[in-house]
Amino acid sequence: MVRMNDLMPSPVVQSPEEIACAGKRLREIARQDEISPQTILDVFELWAAALGGHELREIPGLAFLRLWLRRGTLEPLLLRELGPDFLNGGWREDGHARLRAFPLGVIGHWPAGNIDLQPVLSLTCALLGGNCCLVRIPSDLLEITQQIMEKLKEVDRHGLLVERTLMVTFDHSRTDMHEAMARAVDGAMIWGGAEAVSQVRKLPFPNWAHIAVFGPRLSVAAMDAETWSDRSDRLSWCRRIARDVWQFEQRACSSPQALFLEQRAGCDPNEFVKDLGQALQEENRAHPRRQIEPSLTSGICLARASWLLESAANRAVFPASPDWTILLGRGTEIPKPTQGRTLSVLLVDDLSEVISKFDGTVQTLGLAMRSAEREETLAQAAGRHGVDRVVKLGRMHLFNSPWDGVDLIRPMVRLVRHVPSQE
Amino acid sequence: MSAPAEIAQGIESQLTAPLYGLDPKERHGSLVALLKKELAYACARNMKFRNYVQHWPVDFHAADTLADLPYVPVGAFKANPPLALVDASEFKRTLTSSATTGQVPSRVVLDAETAKRMTKGVTTIIKDFIGPARRPYLVIDTPENVRSQGELGARGAAIQGLGSFATETVCCLRSGPDGNTSLDLTKLLEFAAKWREAEVLTYGFTYVVWTQLVEPLERQGITLDISNVRVLHSGGWKRLEREAVTKKVFTEGVASVFGCSADRVIDFYGMVENVGVVYPDCEHGNKHVPAFAEVVVRNPLTLEPVAPGQRGLVQVCSVLPTSFPGFLVLTDDMAEIIDYDECPCGRRGTSFRFAGRVPKVEVRGCGNLDTTRYQQAQGNGSHE
Repeated sequence: MVRMNDLMPSPVVQSPEEIACAGKRLREIARQDEISPQTILDVFELWAAALGGHELREIPGLAFLRLWLRRGTLEPLLLRELGPDFLNGGWREDGHARLRAFPLGVIGHWPAGNIDLQPVLSLTCALLGGNCCLVRIPSDLLEITQQIMEKLKEVDRHGLLVERTLMVTFDHSRTDMHEAMARAVDGAMIWGGAEAVSQVRKLPFPNWAHIAVFGPRLSVAAMDAETWSDRSDRLSWCRRIARDVWQFEQRACSSPQALFLEQRAGCDPNEFVKDLGQALQEENRAHPRRQIEPSLTSGICLARASWLLESAANRAVFPASPDWTILLGRGTEIPKPTQGRTLSVLLVDDLSEVISKFDGTVQTLGLAMRSAEREETLAQAAGRHGVDRVVKLGRMHLFNSPWDGVDLIRPMVRLVRHVPSQE
Repeated sequence: MSAPAEIAQGIESQLTAPLYGLDPKERHGSLVALLKKELAYACARNMKFRNYVQHWPVDFHAADTLADLPYVPVGAFKANPPLALVDASEFKRTLTSSATTGQVPSRVVLDAETAKRMTKGVTTIIKDFIGPARRPYLVIDTPENVRSQGELGARGAAIQGLGSFATETVCCLRSGPDGNTSLDLTKLLEFAAKWREAEVLTYGFTYVVWTQLVEPLERQGITLDISNVRVLHSGGWKRLEREAVTKKVFTEGVASVFGCSADRVIDFYGMVENVGVVYPDCEHGNKHVPAFAEVVVRNPLTLEPVAPGQRGLVQVCSVLPTSFPGFLVLTDDMAEIIDYDECPCGRRGTSFRFAGRVPKVEVRGCGNLDTTRYQQAQGNGSHE
């Protein structure tokens, strides 16, 4: 076990006892040393600046992280979730009583292995609530996370945040380590796929622990006919879609798996698909894959074949490589996701029909609509059918609060109500 | 409906060519020409297949190399009804792949012509490795798996495919009332005693040979003492690998219980979707491709063919089937290309080594939904 203030070579932990011991130390810090939100925002601001170094430019999403850490981003978020009194470290009047947000204590973080920045983003949310953090880093993200945290260490001269942060890594099959981590925390932020999330939720958390679960979800995109058939804007929209498809290999909950196009007489979807193919090809040139799991290649090849062999009316566009795939056809159901930059483009008569079939699975609906009035109608319908985010195409992955319909900081604080006894 | 005469003649020509003796370039040219004709025929017979081929990034008519021709991933043969190029009335036999519980098996349909070619293809290849003589045939399986059925599994197909080398066939496993199989030791020892001095052929699925024959015999300290045996085996290694049984351990174990040299134990690779083609190991441990087939090993990142020494996804090719579009099949297996010619054993053309199934990676991330939602079996979410 290595704390971030005596940074690695490797934060590998060997025994549950190490985690229990560290958790105890973090809880003591959380109870004894209060840290003000303004102090945290000051350190984050410095951290954002330090992350601008040339050596970190290859880290995916780093520009977003720098923006995220800015006071201009986080202060409004704190104000919305917890109000101005929290920001100033004070109590808020509530009739004859008063309220104040207190940190839960130690927050355990179980980030998913597919989003490079997720350990750090999750950590920042809990720190903003004044908590200490015990973060399990998926092994694939260890190096990137270490690079980012090294910069925090540089700017956090008094160790205010560093001493509140402990990063650990251990094999995902080590149930005893997961259990020790769960026992050591007062709250948890859990991110990931169905199996992983259900495993973590079963862990023996204290009965007072607050648990926030993010994922598993999927996302879809939709365009009205006026937008996708407009030649002047089409390529620009296609580039936005390509960006949304590209990030995270379509394995994120905010990744579009299908794009629904509302059809109108005289509009040729083949022209749209041609432009979309061009945009995907451009994205591929700019951000080529460096590696792929053979099983994903197999899955992509099978998705192409299955789609075209299923019906002679189905269409597809793809290169000889597994770099990207467009599967074109008709239908109002979300097809089985293939991921790996495989987008189903489905023609529909009415986008409302698609949305009416959504259940709680759909996290984000990416939209491109000509009419604001129509968009308002669809957003209302989407909200009623379990969608948590309705955003412009090209911004589907933009991390913000609320996420999955849940605030990011508020769930990791307790609102304490004080009714004075002098009354 | 029979395949056009031009195609039938082309197939026959490849089937009768020197099995492993053709110049690779010459063979490649004739295979590409024939496969193009077969693809055109398949497109004319099946609209859905035509749809697939028409969307291929390279027009097959203009393709220069076999690697550019449109291939079908093996999972596409799980479709129901099965992919076919002949009417259902012409189905003579349906072959099914081995599938573990809960998985859908592949199903390939054979008409009379394709079935005949399948037998001929397998026989020709095996003959090259064990010689043409017919001999007593010991099947390490139950009699139920030998009998001809309308639908024939991979085990049955392999057992029957070697039947043409048999003078008599003895199955040394039996099914119990509980459905479990066990070794019929009396029958086995009788067979061994009767044919101790003779050339004998034995076949079984790899894990069946190990668990149902080698382990029980080793436990009892029995050696069959059939030194002239040829033990052929095929099928996955996954179960044995879990038990730490390597290929070397397996081969030595089999040789020990039969009392033969290790070079008489021959592993071969094959699959029902690649009808009529099997890939036995040569004495240098490499697998070879016969005149009527080809193997392309593709880089998973680019799907381009790999260079010698590199691993990738295996694509098998065969000109033999005309009842289903199994000419060019991308498998879920990995292999290493040893060379594109000049194996020291003297067999020409592509040589490769099987490197296991494509590892099922645990799909990570918050976009990985409960697999049951889409009834897919692509793995579960994980934090690793």
